[in-house]
Amino acid sequence: MTLQEKLESNQFVVCGEITPPQSCDGNVIRDKSRHYKGFVDALNITDNQRAMVRLSSISSAKILLDEGIEPIIQMTCRDRNRLAIQSDLLGAAALGIRNVLCLTGDHQTFGDQPEAKGVFDLDSIQLIAAVATMNSGFLLSGSEIKKPPEFLIGAAANPFAEPFEMRLIRLHKKIAAGARFIQTQAVFDLGIFTRWMESVVEMGLHEKAAILPGVMPVRSVKTLLWMREKLPGMRIPAEYFNRMGQARDPEDEGITIAVEMIRALKNIRGVRGIHIMPSQWESVTPTIVKEAGLHIAH
Amino acid sequence: MLLRNKQSSISDASDKSRIPALLKNLGTLNIRPITVRERKLSQVLLLLEDIIKVPLFRCQRCGECILSSTAFICSQNCPKRLRNGPCGGTGEDGSCEVFPDRKCVWFRIYFRSRLLHRVSLLYKINSIHNWNLEKTSAWLNLFRGRIQGTILFLRSDQQRVKDIISDDAARKA
Repeated sequence: MTLQEKLESNQFVVCGEITPPQSCDGNVIRDKSRHYKGFVDALNITDNQRAMVRLSSISSAKILLDEGIEPIIQMTCRDRNRLAIQSDLLGAAALGIRNVLCLTGDHQTFGDQPEAKGVFDLDSIQLIAAVATMNSGFLLSGSEIKKPPEFLIGAAANPFAEPFEMRLIRLHKKIAAGARFIQTQAVFDLGIFTRWMESVVEMGLHEKAAILPGVMPVRSVKTLLWMREKLPGMRIPAEYFNRMGQARDPEDEGITIAVEMIRALKNIRGVRGIHIMPSQWESVTPTIVKEAGLHIAH
Repeated sequence: MLLRNKQSSISDASDKSRIPALLKNLGTLNIRPITVRERKLSQVLLLLEDIIKVPLFRCQRCGECILSSTAFICSQNCPKRLRNGPCGGTGEDGSCEVFPDRKCVWFRIYFRSRLLHRVSLLYKINSIHNWNLEKTSAWLNLFRGRIQGTILFLRSDQQRVKDIISDDAARKA
C-alpha cells in the first residue's frame, strides 16, 4: 500500500526522515534506511537541509525505492528556479517517486556557503500550486504534459512560530493550493499544538489534509540547547531541560519523552499520523515505534 | 523589446479551456509583453512612483505591487522575498531568522492587517512573481492589466474571513 492509499483509508501513518551525506556514498543512505525499514510508512529525504550541500534528495529517493522504502522527497525553492523545479519533478516522477514535500527552504546564510544566491523564484505555496498544476496535466507555461505526474503533495507547518493566526492562514492557503498532508515542526509544547489543532479542526482543514505532527527524540540537554539557539521558530518548554538534565540516562529519557509525546498526540482530534525526526539518531526509530505501540508498516 | 514571448505553446483553444483555475490564478499565463514605447513611459512613471513608494513603503520596485493586500507594508523586504506569508522561522518576539535585529516583515503585515481590518486579504494566494517586471512601473502594469487590482477600501473583514473558511467547508461537504 502506498502512503496515499494509507492516508485515504484513514490509517495512522508513521513517517521518518533521513539527511543524505555530504558525499557520493549511497551506502550511507542504505545503512540509515535499515533503521527505518518495517517501522515507517514513508521516509522524508531532506533537500540540502540548513543550506548545506548534500547528496541530492531525488537521487537518495531512488536509492530508497530500490531498498523497498517509500520516499517523500523534500523540494525547496532556495536552490532552483521554476524551470529547474518542474524539470526535477518530472524526473522524480519518472523514477517512480510519488510523494513530494513542498518547502520554501532555509535561507542560504544558515549554511556553510552563505555567499550563495538564494533563488526563491517560487514560495512554498506557489510550489504546491505548481505541483498540483503539473498533476492536472500542465506546466506553469500552460503547455500540456502528455504523461502527467501523480504526486501526493505535502507541506510543512509550524504551529509554534508567531503570529498564531497567520500560521493558520498559511495552512489554509497551502491546503487550498493542493497540499494533502502536512508535517509539522517538532512538537515540544503540547499546549500550543493542542490549541493550534483545535483551530485546524474548527476550520475543517483536518478533513482535507492529513496532519502529521513532528516528534523529535533528543539525546542530551546539549542538543536541546543547540536547537533553542540555532533553530528559529522552535519552542521548547523549560520542563524538558529539567527532565533531560536530571535524567541518569539522558538517551533513555529522550526516548521516554518521545513516546509520551506520541501517545499524547495520537489522542488529539484530527491527528492522522506522526513524523519522527531523529536527526542524526536514526537507530532510535524502532524502539520508539515499538514502545509507542504504533503499527508496524508492511 | 519583448519581455515575454506571447506565443503560447497551447495548440488550440479547446485545450486552453482545460487549464485549471489554479494555474490561471498563478499569473504565469498570457502576460502582455512590455513594448518599447511602454518601457519609456514606465521609466518616467517609475521615477514618480519611487519618490512616493520608496520612502513610504521601502518599496523594492518589483513592478508587481501587492501593497494593498499586505496592509501597505512591502513584503519584498523579506530576505526570501516571500509573497504569501512568513516562513517558519519567525521568532517568539517576531524577529526575522535571517536578520534577528529586524522584525519579520510578515509579522508586521499581519498585525497591521488586523489593525486596518484587512486580514481577509491575507488568505489570497498571491501569484508567482514575473521577474521581467522588476524595476518597471507597477502603476503602468496595473493599468495595462498585467497585475491584479488594488484594494483600497475593504468592508466587513471578519465576515469575509468567515466566508472564506466556510466556503471551503461547504465545498468539502
